[in-house]
Amino acid sequence: MHPLVKRALTVALAAGLLSAPAAGALARTPDPSPSQAQSSQDKVTFTIGILSDVDSTNPFTGIVVEAYEAYALMYDYLVTSSPKDVSPQPSLAESYQEAPDKKSWTYKIRSGVTWSDGTPLTARDAAYTFNRIIDGDFEQTNYGNYVANIERAEATDDTTLVLHVKKPTPIMERLAVPILPEHVWKDIDGTKVKSYANEPEDGKPIVGSGPFRLVERRKGQFLRFEANKQYWGGAPAMDEVVMRVFLNADAMAQALLRGEIDFAYDLQSNVFESLKNKPGITTRSSKYPGFNEIAFNNGAALADGTPIGDGHPALKDKQVRLAISYAIDRETLVARVLNGNGAPGDTFIPSMYPALHLDPSVKQTYDPAKANQLLDAAGYAKGSDGIRAKDGKKLALRLFVRDGAESQATGEFVKSWLKDIGIDVTVKVMSEDALTEIIGQGDFDMFEWGWVVEPDPDYQMSTFTCGKRSYKDGDAIYADLSDSFYCNPEYDQLYDQQSGETDPAKRAELAKRMQQLVYDDAAYAITYYYDDMVAYRSDRWTGFVPQPDPDGSILFQYGVHSYLAIKPVSAASPGSGAAADTGSGMSGSLVAAVGGGAVVAVVAVLLVARRRRAAGADERE
Amino acid sequence: MALLTGTRGYVVRKVTWSLGTLLFVLVFNFFLFRLLPGDPIKMYTRGRNTPSEQLIKLRAELNRPIGTQFLEYLSNPFASTINSTRFNRPVWELVAERVWPTVLLVGTAILIASVAGIWLGIRSGWRRGGTFDRWTTGATNTLYAMPEFWVGMVLIIALPMFPSGNINTPGVSGFPDVFLDTAWHMVLPVTALAIVYLAEYTSIMRASLVDELRQDYLQLARAKGLREDLVRRRHAVPNALLPTMTLIFLNFGFVIGGAITIETVFSWPGLGLLSYEALRGPDIPLLQATFLLFSIGVVVFTLLADLLYAVLDPRVSSQ
Repeated sequence: MHPLVKRALTVALAAGLLSAPAAGALARTPDPSPSQAQSSQDKVTFTIGILSDVDSTNPFTGIVVEAYEAYALMYDYLVTSSPKDVSPQPSLAESYQEAPDKKSWTYKIRSGVTWSDGTPLTARDAAYTFNRIIDGDFEQTNYGNYVANIERAEATDDTTLVLHVKKPTPIMERLAVPILPEHVWKDIDGTKVKSYANEPEDGKPIVGSGPFRLVERRKGQFLRFEANKQYWGGAPAMDEVVMRVFLNADAMAQALLRGEIDFAYDLQSNVFESLKNKPGITTRSSKYPGFNEIAFNNGAALADGTPIGDGHPALKDKQVRLAISYAIDRETLVARVLNGNGAPGDTFIPSMYPALHLDPSVKQTYDPAKANQLLDAAGYAKGSDGIRAKDGKKLALRLFVRDGAESQATGEFVKSWLKDIGIDVTVKVMSEDALTEIIGQGDFDMFEWGWVVEPDPDYQMSTFTCGKRSYKDGDAIYADLSDSFYCNPEYDQLYDQQSGETDPAKRAELAKRMQQLVYDDAAYAITYYYDDMVAYRSDRWTGFVPQPDPDGSILFQYGVHSYLAIKPVSAASPGSGAAADTGSGMSGSLVAAVGGGAVVAVVAVLLVARRRRAAGADERE
Repeated sequence: MALLTGTRGYVVRKVTWSLGTLLFVLVFNFFLFRLLPGDPIKMYTRGRNTPSEQLIKLRAELNRPIGTQFLEYLSNPFASTINSTRFNRPVWELVAERVWPTVLLVGTAILIASVAGIWLGIRSGWRRGGTFDRWTTGATNTLYAMPEFWVGMVLIIALPMFPSGNINTPGVSGFPDVFLDTAWHMVLPVTALAIVYLAEYTSIMRASLVDELRQDYLQLARAKGLREDLVRRRHAVPNALLPTMTLIFLNFGFVIGGAITIETVFSWPGLGLLSYEALRGPDIPLLQATFLLFSIGVVVFTLLADLLYAVLDPRVSSQ
């Protein structure tokens, strides 16, 4: 999935209308104890509040994070990522192996697994899924990158899947492709699949093999999943999982306080702060594989090297980019922009992936003196107005930020820091759509944005290769993945080398060298790694499994670890859950009375004031 | 029957005007959305690993001569085959899905608000300056000044016994249950929306009734010996009702447009939100569909208001 998507959606929601006043109201609300609103028939239901609806339950169509979470509940995958350190781990394939000649990989599929309609799941289903993507057209859109190197999938018997590869590649341990039932999907051809909803009809669940099955869906409202108590990985402790859609974060926080939901995902920091220290609720800021950066126009060009765009020439000079990186106070950004929910950033594979992340020995930490020195040495002398210039061209740069509070705040900080070292910055706010367009054309100097890095770093690495710069089709220029237009033959060579390296240790070594190159060349000034902020009813649920251990995410992970591990509190330690429930009706009506009373009081006060004014107006008439 | 013939010309004029407006909207709609910035293909393919052949195919589709596209559009603006670029589903299917939640929410709110608003307006206007009038005017003005979304949030916090959002509870099925469940979910959003509309109707009704108070025909009615009650009901109110009716009908026209803020607060999947999502793309096919629908809504209800005028006030059609 494209890393920008989640971020884009988050920001869109953050731009919502309610943040400030409603958050203030929230902070004053007393805490109502849980109500049993969710489930009608004594079922144990785990309800998750999400801020953007699953765009499609058809795994070939959806793109938002919430959709991928739904697929993970509904289907099995050959491999997953371990909760401990996000390393590859067998899943539906109980073991796998690369052939000695490196031309194929063999996956041993678990036996005895059945689809929810009773049909046995075999290696043939897996082979069908991969071949369908390889041969498909529309099917390629979401999973093309996983199969690009697979020639053919073959089931040699019911439990053996062989994937023949064109060349050795490490992606084979990271195949995040949901295995679909052949007997259902063979009837949905390449045309039909485009608009296939994959939603339950007449109360019949969607056929899947995962720990849950989708039984009901109302668009824009909720998705209801029923537990698969026969799941090979163990029966989930709950009977149902519900994902409930909220269109604003404050309402979601209220629902958590009232006990309508058990888990609130993807919170903004103001809502997150308002939920701290509420009884029965635990807030958690977890390590997340996302970073934000100030990206530089390293010299915009097409993939063939033809220059494009109107970037400031000074930014082609590595010393200038480095100077800017040294002028950014990352600690302040984390404290002031993220409210401390994150960490200063350096290299492009976040520290959430300890095996691959490079922790540079010499860090570009806040050092204005060093920044000034670098610019002096590069020949940029300060003019009478305090702005540096070289060959008569002023060091005046544009910085494009996105229309979200965090991006804009970062922009203003950077502007002031760069002013201190003699660089004049004009900050301009624009929508992400508009910015995407401008980046592709190379018409920028700097911009603020971010990425979410997947467990397999290949995609992220590719964004810095020469070949991923923009391309031309007819007269029009179109963006590819590169947004810095960084191009370094040495980097490209390392990229090619790692793409065929199936030894994890050797590949990690290459990944670190690549990060060092990009870091030393300051293609980006990575500002911070941000956290994933959630809150949940710890008075009701316990046993979440963080990924990675100990400070990673506890839900919306790579895999379904927490769903299989969490338990209702009352089951885990009898009594505590029941205690929390007593008196819920009482406190609920108390809150209503107090709240209603407050409203009446306010109205009354205003009325009296109005009455005076009304009397005055009557006299004038 | 003279009245009917006089009215006929009026009706024909109004209907013709409405049709003309619709035609203009149809044409305007097409060009308006093609002036919007943004690249729909980029929007659709962002986040997907789309092969380049498919990109070229999509681009070719979009880059066809504008004249061809226009003719195709004119031939059937409601074509069911056109897919939304964002949702990858036929636009009218998407719209149909969102229509009823919006109609249910906004329609109910307007109905409640108009009945209550007219009643309050009459009572306070008739005894202008009385205690009831002062309290009502004060209260409605206060409520009118409150932003909808804020009222919504206050209601959520103050009334925790009602659900905080959505239309249905997961897992509820069967006829009476679903019906009751939906009604239960409607309480807060409808209240929030009705409170805001209420103020509008009350003040308009009050103002127009006050205008009538000093009219000579009321003195005449009283001189004839009619009771105050009858003077109000038979003479003052029917005349004062006109502006309020206009307002109610215009608002009904906007029902289709949804109430974006209330829909957001209560996570109510209606048309207002759909059009907001469409605008972010821009998802041109979807925008066209929603805007066309909104325009039709407004035009049709304005026409209805015009026709109702002729019934309520015969002078309108005879001029």
